[in-house]
Amino acid sequence: MIEIRWHSRAGQGAVTGAKGLGSVVATTGKQVQAYALYGSAKRGAAMNAYNRIDDKPIRNQETKMFPDYVFVIDPALAFTDDITKNDKPETQYIITTHLSKEELISQIPALQDKVDRTYVVDCMQISLDTIGRAMPNTPILGAFMKVSKMYELDFFLDNMKKVLSKFPQRIIDANMEAITRAYNEVK
Amino acid sequence: MSTGVLGTEKRGIRELGAEEKVGWDEVTRGVVLDSFEGDATDIVHKKAEERNYSDFNSYTATVASWRIIKPVYNRDICIDCQNCWVWCPDTSIISRDKQMLGIDYDHCKGCGVCVEVCPTNPKSLLMYSEATDNDEALAGWPQKEKKEKK
Amino acid sequence: MAKEFELNEVEVWDGNYAASQALRQAQIDVVAAYPITPSTPIVEGYGAYVANGYVDGEFVMVESEHGAMSGCVGAAAAGGRVATATSSQGFALMVEVLYQASGMRLPIVLTVVNRALASPLNVRGDHSDMYLGRDSGWIQLDAYNPQEAYDLTLCAFRIGEHLDVRLPVMVHQDGFTTSHKAQNVTPLKDDVAYKFVGDYVPVNDMLDFSRPVTHGAQTEEDWHFEHKAKQHKALMDSRTVIDEVLAEFKELTGREYKRVETYYMEDAEVALVVLGSSVETAVIAAEELRAEGIKAGIVSPRCFRPFPYDLVRDALDVPSLKAVCCMDKSAPGGAMGALFNEISAAAYTTESRPLITNYIYGLGGRDFSIEEAKRIFKEQKAHADAGHITTPIQQFSGVRGPKLGFFETRRG
Repeated sequence: MIEIRWHSRAGQGAVTGAKGLGSVVATTGKQVQAYALYGSAKRGAAMNAYNRIDDKPIRNQETKMFPDYVFVIDPALAFTDDITKNDKPETQYIITTHLSKEELISQIPALQDKVDRTYVVDCMQISLDTIGRAMPNTPILGAFMKVSKMYELDFFLDNMKKVLSKFPQRIIDANMEAITRAYNEVK
Repeated sequence: MSTGVLGTEKRGIRELGAEEKVGWDEVTRGVVLDSFEGDATDIVHKKAEERNYSDFNSYTATVASWRIIKPVYNRDICIDCQNCWVWCPDTSIISRDKQMLGIDYDHCKGCGVCVEVCPTNPKSLLMYSEATDNDEALAGWPQKEKKEKK
Repeated sequence: MAKEFELNEVEVWDGNYAASQALRQAQIDVVAAYPITPSTPIVEGYGAYVANGYVDGEFVMVESEHGAMSGCVGAAAAGGRVATATSSQGFALMVEVLYQASGMRLPIVLTVVNRALASPLNVRGDHSDMYLGRDSGWIQLDAYNPQEAYDLTLCAFRIGEHLDVRLPVMVHQDGFTTSHKAQNVTPLKDDVAYKFVGDYVPVNDMLDFSRPVTHGAQTEEDWHFEHKAKQHKALMDSRTVIDEVLAEFKELTGREYKRVETYYMEDAEVALVVLGSSVETAVIAAEELRAEGIKAGIVSPRCFRPFPYDLVRDALDVPSLKAVCCMDKSAPGGAMGALFNEISAAAYTTESRPLITNYIYGLGGRDFSIEEAKRIFKEQKAHADAGHITTPIQQFSGVRGPKLGFFETRRG
């Protein structure tokens, strides 16, 4: 079982991102869960989304998890959220930031013993450059593919196209570019 | 048993509430009650006495015994204005082609609203005790009241 | 003619979307609805299917949930296949009309996304609304995940519309935990799903002008009791039809549902009785405890109404069974939890007569964890080893503050 916790703000597309990841993974015969903890949250409020991925049907309906991966898709949340909550020795962190990895970690004490399992990528800038607005949910998945080696980039792109098929072609193209850039730029 | 104007074999043949009390296994499902027996297509175009009302329909029940006073109708004075037909809460005024025919005594409860709304002078409907014979009532019908000059 | 909806063999759907797809495939004639979190996406989805030509039906906007269920009653009495969705306060506002729907024997399907009842206001999942419906004369089926929400919604039409049943059916799923959690769902193709549900057969429909009928008649003390007795018998007798429909569904899909689900009960020493998505979590806890040597099992009355008294008794009539905990996800309002009361009554007639305790848990969406399920199992094991209940009979699970419990055993 792989478990992922997203740290996001309502409106940044974490739920859509989590469901998109779930949809891609499900095409390979795996079982998935994609859910979020929200409700009356206003746009901009901090929230969590979650993924579970397994080879057998997933029964666990507990919200809390001990994540294998933590995605932080809003730069400020790395500082204000408890992003290392329920950390395991092997938990890996993929954080959106304009800072270098060294600069970021120097400012976040909780990450200082997790240097070798922390990755940074500027999904905000990437999405602004490609999609035209701050929508960090799809680029973080490109970074995740690189870090986790879950799927080849091309396979993931092809399947994401299907997930996004209801959008206009230029949006799909922009998302593909964003995913590819994040895949290449994550450090 | 049905009496009076346009009474039929089925109108008011039983006292309301005196029907046979069947068990839970015989009551209708969902308290759904048929209004008519058999095919009722286009029944809206038929007159009441031509319709095949079911035993569930209040047409077949009578509430005549509830009445203490009754309206008596005087054809000689009536102007067929239909006021009583409009106001009767129990559709007990029988009227055809805008001509008043009389009272359905199987369903009239003797409320007297028909008398209240009757505009003629003297009134074409008056309340009498249930025991009074209609012919006697008609024989003693009051005269026209003269308006007093102020 | 409705367009076919293109579906993948495996979809990733949340419970709401799964339920709305089932409504579309059943080709509902009328949905009268008023939106409320967390069930809104179900009727929103149906509205979109109507607008986009995927279903040949009517979406009726109403002014409240009372209006929504009233609209459903009217449309069902007129002779249509009718469904809607609601939660929580909306459900509470519907209650008056729920009793009318069942008394009038109208096979309406209500997809309920379980949510807490105010006050305090709360949008998350617990079973307060489901429990509120338990005397309403509806069949109540409980789904534990999105696949089940889809499957049981399809089955609900078959069950409710069966000519021997003609009763309304609720399909429950847990707010957010199921309604907003996307999981793998294997849907049926449109034609296969519709063939399973079948064409709607009107009974006593008001639009049949060759046979005008009176719906909603008044009955006083001389008739009311007989009608309620007949209605109760129909609800009790629906058990056979529910079993038949579930068996047929298994034939079609391979997915098996039972009125009472049991897990690891054959040799269980301790058991939890639980409803909804918590069943899934409790099963994992039981599996982990079995690896530690504790013989844990689960019983879940998936068919909450008609209450499967006999099947619950069978499930608990296990010679090895010593202690059972009934888990109620609804504030009991000055009583033992409803599951505790009903399960105890069934267990009283078993040979094994296990010790039975009650936990109130998960109110307002409080997370139910594998760890907590294991702790409660272990507490049952302690009762079993002591031979009597070692804690208060009713306790609260997962609430902050000093321990809260009521009533002590007189044994031990």
